Amino acid sequence: MQSTTSTSSGSGSRPSEGSAQNSGGSAENVASGSNDESAGIGIGDENPSGSSAATNGHDAKHNGFLVNNNGSSSCIVDGENNRENTSYSGVQLDKSNQEIIRLIGQYLHDVGLDKSVKTLMGESGCYLEHPSATKFREHVLMGDWAKADSDLKDLEPLIDNGKLSTITEMKFILLEQKYLEHLDDGNPLEALHVLRSELTPLQHNISRVHQLSSYMMCSTNQDLYQRAKWEGKGIVSRALVMERLQSFMPPSVMMSPRRLKTLLQQAVELQSQHCPCHDMAWETNLGTVSLLTDHCCTTDGFPMQTIQILTDHCDEVWFCKFSPDGLKLATGSKDSTVIIWDVDPYKLTLKHRRVLDGQAQLSVSFVSWSPDSKLILVGGTEDSHELYIWNVDDGKLVVKFSQSLEDSLACGAFSRDGSRFVCGGQKGQLYLCDLNGTIVDSWEGVRVNSIAFRADNKTILAADNHYRIRGYNFDNPHSDFDILREPHPIMTFSINSADRLALLNVSNQGLHLWDIEDKCLVRRFQGIRQSNFAIHSCFGGVNESFVASGSEDKVVYIWHIKREEPLAKLAGHTKTVNCVSWNPVYPSLLASASDDATVRIWGPKPNGSSATTESDDCSSSSSSSSWNMT
Amino acid sequence: MGRIFLEHLGGLKLFNCAQCHTNLTNRSQLISTRFTGATGRAYLFKRVVNLTFSNIQERVMLTGRHMVRDVMCKNCGAKLGWMYEFATEESQKYKEGRVILEYALITEAEGFPSEAPSTSH
Repeated sequence: MQSTTSTSSGSGSRPSEGSAQNSGGSAENVASGSNDESAGIGIGDENPSGSSAATNGHDAKHNGFLVNNNGSSSCIVDGENNRENTSYSGVQLDKSNQEIIRLIGQYLHDVGLDKSVKTLMGESGCYLEHPSATKFREHVLMGDWAKADSDLKDLEPLIDNGKLSTITEMKFILLEQKYLEHLDDGNPLEALHVLRSELTPLQHNISRVHQLSSYMMCSTNQDLYQRAKWEGKGIVSRALVMERLQSFMPPSVMMSPRRLKTLLQQAVELQSQHCPCHDMAWETNLGTVSLLTDHCCTTDGFPMQTIQILTDHCDEVWFCKFSPDGLKLATGSKDSTVIIWDVDPYKLTLKHRRVLDGQAQLSVSFVSWSPDSKLILVGGTEDSHELYIWNVDDGKLVVKFSQSLEDSLACGAFSRDGSRFVCGGQKGQLYLCDLNGTIVDSWEGVRVNSIAFRADNKTILAADNHYRIRGYNFDNPHSDFDILREPHPIMTFSINSADRLALLNVSNQGLHLWDIEDKCLVRRFQGIRQSNFAIHSCFGGVNESFVASGSEDKVVYIWHIKREEPLAKLAGHTKTVNCVSWNPVYPSLLASASDDATVRIWGPKPNGSSATTESDDCSSSSSSSSWNMT
Repeated sequence: MGRIFLEHLGGLKLFNCAQCHTNLTNRSQLISTRFTGATGRAYLFKRVVNLTFSNIQERVMLTGRHMVRDVMCKNCGAKLGWMYEFATEESQKYKEGRVILEYALITEAEGFPSEAPSTSH
């Protein structure tokens, strides 16, 4: 007989090499073992009549595993096979093809299509796993420890080059189960025998042996299960033992369980990582996506297209912000007015509600919404010393706040519970006020550009003139502490609703994402241009998986929060985009405010229209995502 | 134009734009008061913020030939002085990158002590 090792080496021939290194004896073990009735999950074709050479393709072309030292077919065997169905086709398969056949075989076996497995293995000439491994598994699952032990001997040369410690560990695991099962059966004598004459002589993991011996004292089986953290005698605990044992076996001998599913799950994970508009609220797994196409979140519902242009302002628009309930938009302009717009969440259109123009000569540089969406706090630029609180429902001025003509109040924010607001500026004041405009507390000597409350309603974050964001706590006694520091001035920043991430527009540098708990820079988003103007950015989209920013190059940039490169550039404005706001309730809506005196509302593409954005259009294949809220 | 972003250097003694009071620099950045500009006395500063710069020009001054840029207030556009891009004379190299503000075009103001960050810019 010719040798097969030379030709099949490098393909699925690891077991045969392993055997070849050892004596012919071990190979015979394998061969004789394979005649056992329990050879089980259809490995190749069986040939008890000894006419193997013809049908088995017992030659160099045979795919996969052969143990062939002595010329006898060690290959694999199942008495009931139909000769016609399983005859080896003679197709030559390279290593990867053999592996794919094995994966398919294992999968078919897992779903119970054993006949197909037999046919497949027969026709391809592949093996699913080493025959001894099959028997080993059967015996472990049946609890036939003596046979399992002898199977392990057969497998020894194939495992870790027969390294003694590995084999001992495997034996130990088997005996552990055997011992526990004797205890479970109420056979303490048998168990003791295992402990004394089988486990102890292995001289392995002595402390575990001691621990095992202590289980003798368990009064009830329940006690035993609890103390040993063990499932009790039966198929469940044996399957767990088998999985532990399996981890020692090379995949050529026995594949890890459910290997094909594992691979597919990995593929799905990778696809979702590469999915440009991936909606992170949507957990991707084999159950929720189709394997027939690559996963890709649809861009339906993504704000990609101008759906409305608001032209009511008569000068540069510097700020825009959706209300927390998503039903209103406030836009602030250099023309000293704030306009409140009503959002129709079904038609995705905005309607002019009212102009708030009592802020004489105040170029509106920011607007902050109260959490109940009823009040807005409005302020101007560095030369302004006044703040206004408006009721947006009746359009009445609630409070005009001014402490000193010398003040500069160019930033402010409501607390997250709506009971207070904070304001500050570059002349060194930081005021904490109630809704009547009464100063509750103040902080001396900080020059701030941008300000926000944290979720605890006590800590205030402020970007200062030393390029830092610091925390200020007005509790008694006052405390302040550094959060982060940039090498360039921080123009504006915002905090995500989870109160964990800060998004910073850094002068001349771009958009930086920081983790304010861990105090580390997470990401630098690429693309935007900003040097001279205070540009605002925001978190948004489903589950705040995205960030957006204005830019001096007239476009709105959108990024996935996990990627540096922009996912979309929304073109349309004719001058610097100063501010963007993503609707917190209806994530299909995004607003942008620009020096061209307009506010653009971005929304999903109407069906059938062509894209006007520069973004890559993602061919939507797969199932639902949560974008379409309406 | 957008909302102009302005920095503030902080410090105890401030120098601001005389026209719009935007902060430009402070006493700790002052190198010398013994300069003269078109409007009379002028100060040399190490670091000045909130400026815009003109194109580069060649000027022959009392101390030799220089490449300079005029500097304007970023907020109101008022001309304030110039900055030295390049000095041909070896003895004048120390002025490169530094800024002259004409005293008549700036005002002094009081600041307040503040906790400066550990490393300077």
